[in-house]
Amino acid sequence: MFSNWRFQRLPSAHPGIAFAARAAAVIAALVFTGVILAISGANPIVLAGEVIDSSFGSAFGMEDLALLFIPLILTGLAVTVAQQIGTWNIGAEGQFYLGAFSATAVGLFVPGPPALILVLMFFAGVIGGMLWILVPTLARAYANVNELITTLLLNFVAALLVYYVSTGPWRDRVGLANSATPRLSAEVPEFWGIVHWGLPVAVLVVIATAAVFTFSRWGYEVRLSGSNPSAAKYAGIPVRRHLITVMLLSGGIAGLAGMLEIAGTVHRLQGGISNNFGYLGIMVAVLARGSSIGVIFSAALMAFILNSGIILQTQGLTTSAVLAMTGLILFLTAIGDELSHYRITREKT
Amino acid sequence: MNEAAPHFTPPAGTPPIVQLKGIAKYFPGVIANQDVDLEVYPGEIHALLGENGAGKSTLMNILTGIYQADAGEIIIDGYKREFASPQQAIAAGIGMVHQHFKLVQAFTVAENIHLGWNETPRRASASKLERRTADLAKRFNLQVRPGARISDLSTGEQQRVEILRVLARQARVLILDEPTAVLTPAEARELFSALRNFVAEGNAVFFISHKLDEVLEISDRITILRGGRKIATEKASDCNPRMLAKLMVGRDIVLDDMRARPQGAAPVSREPVLNLKNVTAKGDDGSPALHDINLSVHAGEIVGIAGVAGNGQRELSQVLTGVRPVTSGQVIVDGKPMGGRNAAAYAAGGIGHIPEDRLHSGLAPALSITINAVMREYMKPPITSAGVYNPAAATTLSKEIAEAANVAIPDYGMPIRNLSGGNQQRLVARREMRIANKVLVAAYPSRGLDVGAINTMLRYIVELRDAGAGIVLISEELEELLNLSDRIAVLYEGRIMGKLDNQNIDIDEIGLLMGGRTQVPETREVA
Repeated sequence: MFSNWRFQRLPSAHPGIAFAARAAAVIAALVFTGVILAISGANPIVLAGEVIDSSFGSAFGMEDLALLFIPLILTGLAVTVAQQIGTWNIGAEGQFYLGAFSATAVGLFVPGPPALILVLMFFAGVIGGMLWILVPTLARAYANVNELITTLLLNFVAALLVYYVSTGPWRDRVGLANSATPRLSAEVPEFWGIVHWGLPVAVLVVIATAAVFTFSRWGYEVRLSGSNPSAAKYAGIPVRRHLITVMLLSGGIAGLAGMLEIAGTVHRLQGGISNNFGYLGIMVAVLARGSSIGVIFSAALMAFILNSGIILQTQGLTTSAVLAMTGLILFLTAIGDELSHYRITREKT
Repeated sequence: MNEAAPHFTPPAGTPPIVQLKGIAKYFPGVIANQDVDLEVYPGEIHALLGENGAGKSTLMNILTGIYQADAGEIIIDGYKREFASPQQAIAAGIGMVHQHFKLVQAFTVAENIHLGWNETPRRASASKLERRTADLAKRFNLQVRPGARISDLSTGEQQRVEILRVLARQARVLILDEPTAVLTPAEARELFSALRNFVAEGNAVFFISHKLDEVLEISDRITILRGGRKIATEKASDCNPRMLAKLMVGRDIVLDDMRARPQGAAPVSREPVLNLKNVTAKGDDGSPALHDINLSVHAGEIVGIAGVAGNGQRELSQVLTGVRPVTSGQVIVDGKPMGGRNAAAYAAGGIGHIPEDRLHSGLAPALSITINAVMREYMKPPITSAGVYNPAAATTLSKEIAEAANVAIPDYGMPIRNLSGGNQQRLVARREMRIANKVLVAAYPSRGLDVGAINTMLRYIVELRDAGAGIVLISEELEELLNLSDRIAVLYEGRIMGKLDNQNIDIDEIGLLMGGRTQVPETREVA
């Protein structure tokens, strides 16, 4: 007896199957990486044990993880927010830099009580991010210039600007660190080891954003405009105004990430302060599939991967191995998402 | 008829250059062509005349190898041929200039002429290609600028490039699909003289059009298609516009009069609910699309808009619903000028809109059924109060709309693109009917639907009319317009050619107006 296996495409994936497909994708990526590590002579089991032990086995590990988690939540959210109106903010990296830059400027040059300075730094960070996305936003809104290119290219400008001020005019002339600014006196207070209040703030921002998109008239209009602008026009929704607002919001959130990194984690501005968080935010957003709440989970996964990378480096592996693993996870997740739309049926002939 | 070029007369016994025998083509649920016999002789300009969907383009696509016929034969110069692709057709000397040009915008004229042509020299500099193009242009007497980029050319010039590209490949039969639709009158005259020169050398032209005057002017013989079948082939010299119009719209119309009102239906109001006064509007490309439109719609009546698609229907429906701004003139709703207000204000004022391309402008296909269903009422309680959007209330409304539309929906959170076209259209119609307490503008409401869904659609419209709304029904189906409308206005090139009362209406007259003729007996004109 012969039987025919057939693929049947379903209009929408069952949530359980979709989740299982994603879990399978992550596990498959880890197994792949393990096999490659084994081939190159390492013992993947020992390494995995090391990673898990270093990440979750001690308070220090967990704290490191949390510090990576904070900026990833916010940059991931920035990209997700821009997606709601149908745009790709590839410039979260640059907006992160500008948020850090503006917050540092306030911290270094504005005198006043630390609490007040901290509040001013918060606003400076958000506004810095918004300013950095302003030109791409207006170009997109009024001249239909693709924001993918403009936001991306501004990243390099921002990185060079920060490198210049932190090694030039703003560099620490007293201390030993010649490639960074002096330590800022205003700091986001810590609540658990070295983990600062930026974490609950980031989570709150995610929840507030998700609530606004799901439970406000404005959110409805934005979702409609992002999904089909001509339908939104037909319904009389001011698409351009919403586009500008949402893109600025996206830039502001990325700027906030930069501010928290400066005021909570690093305490001084230096070249490479973004640590690629802006680009990793794109991956976080892709994994979250347009869901603001989903950003929290995908940012946690990304933080773990990043942290594993750091640990593996101490074990003699290069960063490339970790980058390859991240790429694999993304790639396999995409395949898993697509496959979860299919059902395999068997026909007897 | 041909003053410029001498007429070519083939020697006696010459076979037709193209002969079609019993051509049939079926698409799922549609007969596109059936039993079409046609012959064209060297030296002839042969017009194909018919309404939208009469099967003109399908027939020519079969001749050029884009489609393969399900039955019948293609005979070229007396030999039976089969074309599996347009390349094979052009090798046999048959080339087509499509309504939408197939040119590479960023390339020069010379590059476009030489693209995908086996006679293009393997190694050729730009200047050599341009020289070759200039020679070709001279040979075929078509003026083009070989070095210019396509994107810098006017539509008339682009069309000349298309024609030159086909002629350069030694085409002997040139097919033109609505060639004058994009041309100015002066450009059209140039085209006509080029066509006359072309056939004077023993070639032939198929000329697809719905414009009666130009068909009579340019062609030697005219074939009229209707519903995929050939109705007649006549010598142009034996034809007049009235007779062509009658043949074109023909009448095996099934009149199923839906104009009668049941008891208790709302009467036609004395004052119009919607009034267009001298309205002019631009199309998407900035060129004028509507000229000096005057149209009034009363409560409780259906005003039909007839005309061949692309004559300003889309722009008219958008002006009526506030989606497209007017450049001059006034839109008056219930006595109040709407000047400058947007689509949301029109909707709030009681104007519903079933758009012609529901998937592109009436719905967001990737979003949920609920989000799509509440598109007209999301800003009002119970869905939004004090800026807070209540998803549960939205789903409740969406269920209500789906029930009224009689659409069974397993999951209101699934993307609306998963529904069939008929179900989508029913949901859109019900959504719009809920807000259309003054006017409903329905653009091609039955397009793409099967017979059952069409009936439902038309029943909805009648139901709304009886409830006291004014309806603007834009359609390319004359049956539909005749069965429903109290009055019919005919659009042609952005103008209203005439308004007719639908009382013992003369169908030929509509055909004449659709074809751009204005000589209508004064007695029938309704102000």
